[in-house]
Amino acid sequence: MADPLDSGDDIFDKLQKGVDPKLQAEKDRVRNERDYAQFEKTQRRLSELIQDNSTLPATISSIRVLGAPNTRKSFLERIFNPILSANQDRPYTLAEAIREVSTGADKLHRLDIFHEPISLFIDRPPKTDPSATPTDIDFYLSVREKSRILIKTGTSAGNGEGEAYTNVLLRNIFGGAESLNVNASLGTRTRSAYQASFESPILSNPDLRWEIGGLASSTQKPWSSHEEVLKGGWTKLRWIAQGGGRHELGYNGVWRQITGLASNASPTLRNDAGDSVKSSIQHTWIKERRDNPMLPTRGYFNKSTLELAGWGPLQGDVAFGKAELEAQGAMPIPIPGIKGESGVSLTTGLRAGLLYPLPLGLESESKPSRINDRFGLGGPTDVRGFRLSGLGPHDGSDAVGGDVYAAGSANLLFPIPRVALDKPFRFQAFLTGGRLLALKKPEKRGTNSQNVRQALGSTIAELGNGLPSIAAGFGLIYAHPVARFELNFSLPIVQRRGEDARKGLQFGIGINMM
Amino acid sequence: MPQDANAAPEEKPKPRAKAQPKNSSWPWFTTPQPIKRLFDKFPLETYGQNELPQRTAQHRDQHALYVFTTDNGARRGAPSFNPGCLKWQAYLKFRNFSFITISSNNHASPDGALPFLLPSASSSTFPDAPPSPVPSNRIQRWTRDTIAKRKGISNASGLSRQQSEHGAAPAESRTSKEEDIAPTDPSDMRYEAYMSLLDHWIRNAYLYSLYLSPPNFDSIAFPLYIAPSTTNTLVRITLSHQLRAAAETELLKQSARIEVVAIHQESDKAFAALSELLGDDEYFFGEKKPGLFDASVFAYTNLLLDEGLDWRDTRMADGLRGYRNLVAHQKRIRQTHFR
Repeated sequence: MADPLDSGDDIFDKLQKGVDPKLQAEKDRVRNERDYAQFEKTQRRLSELIQDNSTLPATISSIRVLGAPNTRKSFLERIFNPILSANQDRPYTLAEAIREVSTGADKLHRLDIFHEPISLFIDRPPKTDPSATPTDIDFYLSVREKSRILIKTGTSAGNGEGEAYTNVLLRNIFGGAESLNVNASLGTRTRSAYQASFESPILSNPDLRWEIGGLASSTQKPWSSHEEVLKGGWTKLRWIAQGGGRHELGYNGVWRQITGLASNASPTLRNDAGDSVKSSIQHTWIKERRDNPMLPTRGYFNKSTLELAGWGPLQGDVAFGKAELEAQGAMPIPIPGIKGESGVSLTTGLRAGLLYPLPLGLESESKPSRINDRFGLGGPTDVRGFRLSGLGPHDGSDAVGGDVYAAGSANLLFPIPRVALDKPFRFQAFLTGGRLLALKKPEKRGTNSQNVRQALGSTIAELGNGLPSIAAGFGLIYAHPVARFELNFSLPIVQRRGEDARKGLQFGIGINMM
Repeated sequence: MPQDANAAPEEKPKPRAKAQPKNSSWPWFTTPQPIKRLFDKFPLETYGQNELPQRTAQHRDQHALYVFTTDNGARRGAPSFNPGCLKWQAYLKFRNFSFITISSNNHASPDGALPFLLPSASSSTFPDAPPSPVPSNRIQRWTRDTIAKRKGISNASGLSRQQSEHGAAPAESRTSKEEDIAPTDPSDMRYEAYMSLLDHWIRNAYLYSLYLSPPNFDSIAFPLYIAPSTTNTLVRITLSHQLRAAAETELLKQSARIEVVAIHQESDKAFAALSELLGDDEYFFGEKKPGLFDASVFAYTNLLLDEGLDWRDTRMADGLRGYRNLVAHQKRIRQTHFR
C-alpha cells in the first residue's frame, strides 16, 4: 500500500488539509479485510488442527479458572467438577472435551459476573509429573470479574412523567453470583418507589435462579382519580426450560392502599378506597422467538400469566383466579420488484385476560373484584388511539377496570425512504381494537360458584356483542435497544359511551407493545 | 372536629376541582375548523355504556352518609361507633333527612376523615358527573341549602340564609341554636364555650379511653376499626400502631404530657357542666327538638353507654352515669331516632 505522504507534497499542507475521508475509509476497509482474512485463517487452522485430532483420546485432568479471586471455589467446582474425567465413566475425545469445557465457560458467561470474552487455553501437564497420564490435558479459563458494585443515578422524562432514580447493583456478593439490586425513584406520577431484590443461581446453574424482594411505592393513577400505595414482598423461582421457554413461579404478598382520592372521584372509587392484602401465587411463561423484540420482522412471542390469590390457605383479603395470554407474530412481506428484504413487515398482536372471583378461604360466596385487581386496557402500549385505561367501564370520568378483556392489533411497518433498513426507524399504519368488560351480575342472587360461572359465561358472550372499540392510525417508530418510542396520529372508529379515545397525536414509550 | 357552622361562606366544591391531566390540551394550539369538522365525524359508531363492576355504589338515587360502621350496622342504619360520624348521622336524622349509611374508612373521604355525605345522583348539577362529596364540616350548610332548594326557595347563600331558616322550613328552624344566633349574641359565646368542652375535655378523655387504655383498645378499637380493614396480622399490627400514635399525637397537641388522672377529672367536670346546662329540659338550650349540640353530646354519650360495646376501662362511662339527665337525654334520642 502506497503511503500518500510519500507523494512529495509539503507535509504541513497535508496535515492542515487533514486526512481525506475517502482515503481514510479506504485504508480502514483494506485493514479490516486484512485483519479478517488473518483471523479467518487462524480459525481455519485451529479448527483443522482440532478436526485432525478430534478423535484423539483426551483426559481432562484439571480446569483452572484464572482471574476470579472473589468467586467461591466451591461455586466454580459445581460447574466444572462433573466435567473432569475423574468423574466420567468413559473417556473423552479431544473435540468432546473442548465442547464440555466450552459449555462450562458459557455458563460462567451467563452468570453475568465476568467480562466478555472468556478465553480458553489448553495445556499438557509436564511430563515430570508422575501422576500424569499421556492423554492428560489441563484447561485454563481466563476471566475478568465485573465490578462488584454498580451505581446508576439519573433523571428521565416522558409519557407525562418525570422522575429521578438511583440504582445500586451489588454483584457476586458471596462469591456465588448472588446479586442485590436496590432501586429508588421519585417522580411525578410514581410519587416514590423503593425496591430491593436479592437473586442467586441455584447449584451454580445460571438457568435456575431464586429471587426474593420487597417494594414500597406510591403511584398516582389520574385516570381513576386515586393514588395507590403498595408495600409488599415476593419470592420466586426462575428457570429456562428445554425448549427455551422462560418460567417464573412465585409468591407475592402485598398490602395495597387506595387513598388520596381526587375530589371528583366516582362512587365506585369511594367504595373501593382503603386497605387490602393480596396473597397470591403466580406463574409466568414466556417464549421469545422474535428476531428483534423492539422491532420484530419475523418470529413470534408468547406469554401467559396465571395468578391465584386468596384461595384456601393463601388467606389475604382478596380471592380470585386470573389468567392472561399474550401473543405476537411478525412476518416480512416481500414486495415484487425488490430483491432481498423489502423492509416491509406485518406484526399482529393478541391479548386476552380473565379474572374469576373466588371465595376467600373457607367461605362459600366469592367476593367481587376490586379496582386494583381488575384489568385496565387502552393506551399507547396496547390499544393505541385510546388514552391510558381509556377502554372499558367508566364511572363518570374514572376508568374503573374490568374482569374480562380481549384486544388485538395489526401493524404494517414500512421502511422510511432514504433511511437504511438496518436503522431502527419505521413508519407504521395500524388498526387496533379491544373490549374490556366488568363481570355481569349473576341472574340469581348470591355469588356461589355456579352463579359466578353463569355470569362469566354471559360476560364472555358480551365480548362478541357488536364491534369492539377500534382505533386506526399511522405514525413513526424509533426502536431504541431499551424501549420503543412511537409517535402516532390516530382516530377512533368505534367506541363505547364513556370510553376515552384520543383524537390526533399520541406519543408512546413501551418495552412490550402490542 | 372543626366547627364552622358560622364560618364564612366557603367556596362551593367545584364539580371538577382537580383538573385531570388527561383533559388538558395544548392551550396555544387551536384546531383549525376543517380538521375539527373531520375529527367530529369520529368515532363512526358509538355504542352504549359499559356496565359497571359489581362493587360499585348501588343506591345512587339516595343520599349516602359514609361512616364507620359494620356492614350489618350500615344496612340497619344503626348508630355509628365513631363520635364524629355519629354526630352528623344524628344531626341528619334530627332534620328528617332520608339517607343510607355506608360502611367506609378514612381513605374514601375527600378530607381524609369520615364522615362525608355523597348526595344522590339526581341532586348533581351536571348530569354526567357524579355528585361532589360533602365533607363533615360542610354537612350543616349542605343540609340548609338542600332544604331551601327542596322548598323551592332560591338558595343564593348569605342573603337568603335567614329567609330559608325562618320562612321556608318552620319545622327545622329554631331547632338548633347556632344557626339563629348572630355571632355577637352572648348566648352564642355560651354555645361556643360548651362546644369547646366537648371538643377538648370530653374528646381527650374519649381518645384516651378508647385508643390508649389497653383493655379498651383490645376490646373495642381493634375489633371495630382495625379488624374490618384486613385479615392480615402484620398489617393489623401496623394499623393499630398508627392509630394509637395518631391518638397520642392528638393528645400531645394540647399538653406536653398525657396525664391520665387530669384527663378524667376534666371530662368529669365537663359532664357536670353539661348536666347543669341541660337541667330538666329535654334538649339542650331549652329547645323542643334536638339540634347539632344535642347530636354532639349524643355522639359521645351513646358510645359510652352502649351496652353492645365491651368497655373494659369504664372510668369515663362511670363518670357519665352519675348525671341522670345526660343518661336520659341519650336514651331519649336513641329511642326517638334510632329505633
